[in-house]
Amino acid sequence: MQRIDHQEFHIGAGSGIERRVNVLQGTSYVTGKPDIILTTVLGSCIATCLYDPIAHIGGMNHFLLSHPAGLNNSEGAESQRYGVYAMEMLINEMLKAGAVRSRIRAHLYGGANLHSGMKTIGTANIQFAQDFLRDDGIPLIHSHVGGIDARRVDFRAQSGQARCRVVQNVEVLQRKVTPPVSTKGSGDVELF
Amino acid sequence: MILTVDDSKSMRMLLRNALTQRGYEVVEAEDGVAALEWLRDNSPGLVITDINMPRMDGFGLIEALRGETRWDSTPILVLTTESSNEKKSRARDAGATGWIVKPFDPEKLASAVRRVLH
Repeated sequence: MQRIDHQEFHIGAGSGIERRVNVLQGTSYVTGKPDIILTTVLGSCIATCLYDPIAHIGGMNHFLLSHPAGLNNSEGAESQRYGVYAMEMLINEMLKAGAVRSRIRAHLYGGANLHSGMKTIGTANIQFAQDFLRDDGIPLIHSHVGGIDARRVDFRAQSGQARCRVVQNVEVLQRKVTPPVSTKGSGDVELF
Repeated sequence: MILTVDDSKSMRMLLRNALTQRGYEVVEAEDGVAALEWLRDNSPGLVITDINMPRMDGFGLIEALRGETRWDSTPILVLTTESSNEKKSRARDAGATGWIVKPFDPEKLASAVRRVLH
């Protein structure tokens, strides 16, 4: 999970300029700025939106587990480790920005089963994210998941407001399901 | 016995699975404070700790352990999403035995555990 190469767009809106940050697959972004809208387009991927309503800090990640997560086989276990890592990266960035773990609330989006030959990928990603939030005690207050259509999500991280729309004929519909993003240096061991 | 310290229950479950599959007994704590409470009456062979945790983070835990002669020689591995040299140096200076970057590879983790335990 990287926090680089976010696409940014500036648009005029009401009293000032708003900045859109496109959260790409394999990345996350955390902010407390009211003028930033986090946005992404999801197929089978999951976007977790977290926010702390007291600190007014929020963030979004965007990930895809290419195999059903689980500990009973090596591919599932690898997906599980990657998914937990993706969630932890987002949570840690939230905490560094001033959020308090016990106050964090979650939204979940995505997990569509876009391709008939990959029926379970979206569902498996939803299940992973829901299990993680339950196990880690993070309340899930809103979700728009599953189905067969892609979604566009806009998240005002500072206020926790989100908008989710079903979209069609977008690039995500053509995208192949890809394996988890490799993470530079991950798993490396250095003994002092 | 290995004490794992991480504020994420999901991460603790992953660690428990990886270590128990290799024959190790595992005890879990959710942060540095909980770890120190358990350590008052118990002596693990190894501590594996996260860095970013509420109440007491991994640096605080390492410093607290190395501040007592009782824990002088107990190996402490840091398992973290952090990869900066600054934080790695801080952990080393505080007395950590090693540094592992998440997401962990079970085989590399097991290898490191074997090396510090023997």
